[in-house]
Amino acid sequence: MEDLTKKKTYVADVERTLYDIRDEDRSSYKTAKGLTEDIVRDISAKKEEPEWMLQKRLEALRIYHQMPMPTWGPDISALHMDDIVTYVRPDTKMTGNWKEVPKEIKDTFDRLGIPEAEKTSLAGVGAQYDSEVVYHSIQKELADQGVLYTDFETAVKEYPEIVQEYFMTLIPPTAHKFAALHGAVWSGGSFVYVPEGVHVDIPLQSYFRLNAAGAGQFEHTLIVCEKNSSLHFIEGCSAPKYNVTNLHAGAVELFVKEGARLRYSTIENWSRNMMNLNTKRSFVEKDGVIEWVSGSFGSHVSCLYPASVLHGENAKCEFTGVTFSAKGQDLDTGASVIMLAPHTSANINTRTISKSGGKATYRSAVKVAPAATGAKCLVNCESLMLDNDSRSDTLPVMDIQAADVEIGHEAKIGRISDEAIYYLTSRGIDEKEAQAMIVRGFVEPISKALPLEYAVEMNNLINLELEGTMG
Amino acid sequence: METKEKTLYSAIPMRTWRWLGVNEAYVPDDIPAADGGEPAGTVLRKTVAAGESRTETLVYRSEQSARVVYEVEAGGTLHLTKVQLLPPDKGHVDALEIHVAEGGEAYVTIAELGASHTVTKVRIDLDGDHAVGDLAAIYLGSGSQRVDLNYVLCQKGRQTRADMQVRGALMGKSEKIFRGTLDFRKGSKGSVGREREEVVLLNEGVRNRSVPLMLSGEDDVDGHHAVSVGKMDQEKLFYVMSRGLDLNEARRLVVEASFQPVLERIADGDLRAEVEQQIEELIADGK
Repeated sequence: MEDLTKKKTYVADVERTLYDIRDEDRSSYKTAKGLTEDIVRDISAKKEEPEWMLQKRLEALRIYHQMPMPTWGPDISALHMDDIVTYVRPDTKMTGNWKEVPKEIKDTFDRLGIPEAEKTSLAGVGAQYDSEVVYHSIQKELADQGVLYTDFETAVKEYPEIVQEYFMTLIPPTAHKFAALHGAVWSGGSFVYVPEGVHVDIPLQSYFRLNAAGAGQFEHTLIVCEKNSSLHFIEGCSAPKYNVTNLHAGAVELFVKEGARLRYSTIENWSRNMMNLNTKRSFVEKDGVIEWVSGSFGSHVSCLYPASVLHGENAKCEFTGVTFSAKGQDLDTGASVIMLAPHTSANINTRTISKSGGKATYRSAVKVAPAATGAKCLVNCESLMLDNDSRSDTLPVMDIQAADVEIGHEAKIGRISDEAIYYLTSRGIDEKEAQAMIVRGFVEPISKALPLEYAVEMNNLINLELEGTMG
Repeated sequence: METKEKTLYSAIPMRTWRWLGVNEAYVPDDIPAADGGEPAGTVLRKTVAAGESRTETLVYRSEQSARVVYEVEAGGTLHLTKVQLLPPDKGHVDALEIHVAEGGEAYVTIAELGASHTVTKVRIDLDGDHAVGDLAAIYLGSGSQRVDLNYVLCQKGRQTRADMQVRGALMGKSEKIFRGTLDFRKGSKGSVGREREEVVLLNEGVRNRSVPLMLSGEDDVDGHHAVSVGKMDQEKLFYVMSRGLDLNEARRLVVEASFQPVLERIADGDLRAEVEQQIEELIADGK
């Protein structure tokens, strides 16, 4: 009888030690668990918000209570909003000087390499700890050119006309239940405004750290790139692991004006007790370009599908994503593109890896409106399964309502081929290194889209300790 | 006015965002329901015996609804052709279900050309080791036709082979949804699955939705799917028209060339000629 038993490749879980160090909870204030109007009013009052923002929160809360839970996607039945603390204020105020950040919090960001990266490769940094931003900085040259980069609370108070024009217009509370939740209890996040013609050559980075157990993080990121400007924005996130469910329901709204270019890079490494129900959308005008680079490694459950609305003629979207799902993880990721104008184009390129019982789902939508004549879109998703306990599913949808288009989609699924291992080992490379080379090659389209230091971080996250286990 | 409640007929194996409108398909309004909610119509159950090779043909000319189940026993081979030529004022709904045992093979060829609203599902379960499922289909949407296809090739046995190719053209104000699923079940070691869809959009005003799913609970598989949607190749069209053909004749030639790999699987020469004639007339009508 033919022996169908194949050699197995063992890939270690993502190394999490660094991220799982938890600090003692020294918050100065927490709301009660659950979600009520009193809690929403309390958050708004603590932030000394203007009345218009309170009214937006209350309207979002009303919508939240009316909306059903999603009927598709991963199981999120373990999420009980009555057990979630929606607002945790750390015992410090925001500062522009790391020396003024409490030692314990600064030590956390030191371990994550944020202050060091700020010195070497970033033009501005925002660091959020639980529900509030504790550190923010921007290089003077950028500020002198009119670039605004602040925490979101400061933006609400100091730039209300800009915030009111854009806030939750791209992700309205009616988008889905967790967008409504976000609208009710948002806290922290970043605001970036790049004036017309200004090119921010060095990236800005915001890092979101959730330390408190059983808490939610609901940061709001709003970026406006005016005409012919450019920006690279990097978002990082992590949390230590607890045995209770944490929730992340952030929102990212990106506005790319005529001829502007925005690259939004994310390395997400939430802890394995996190429900990551995040929403990201961009709105791109004529000749504008949005580039998403997205790495999803952490969390227990993720639902993340950055969306691009290509509203202006010749607007472009590039999406590059990698998802690594290991034991106990159900990562449902992908992208969506709405093409509304002539000659818009999109290129979606993803890689997913699943192992040790992890489940990875690629989910996407490409919608071409009748007006989008000459639209072009190419989707490529490849999935690698490293063992027989895992799952990998792809679920793309294309909805094409214009005839003069070129739309292509391609997907592959499989394992590391024995032929490839044989080829490499026959050339003197040992099996462990051969397997590592193949997996590194598999994610290369994503790692090469990242700045060098973040590509290194991603490789560290993948931490390919191949043991070449047989059988 | 009383609104008739829609009857759910099929759904994709894994649901996605509701706003895309592709999760479910409903029975066309003009088809009555039998007891139990299923559409009224013929129910056929047939067996292809072990080692037997059988050729079957289903042609829908007036009957609107049917459910057909085949059991292909070990080493049996089924060649099944379904041609749907219903008049343009009738709805069509049917289900085709095939179970293939070890070493069995099922070759299914489908042409969906008629009916105002077509809702059809095909499921081929490759239950046994080395089973083969090969599904090739064409559709041509015209006028205000709606075509709604849900095909699933489920690979359960070891070293099974699944192939799904769907070729279509849309004109007039027609709409189509194609859901094609390759489902590699845990234990389907050494299996290979291929799915490809090519859609030609002949004019503005049509709507094409493609949903190519690939599900896998088995690592030792080789799965691939590809979809291509676009207008008619302008170079081919120019070449044909430069030989003196008008636009409709040129479009017919290009669509027939695209459909050829499926058309040539229709073994009955008369039926094949009738299908080609229908395609020619629909394109000549230009609506």
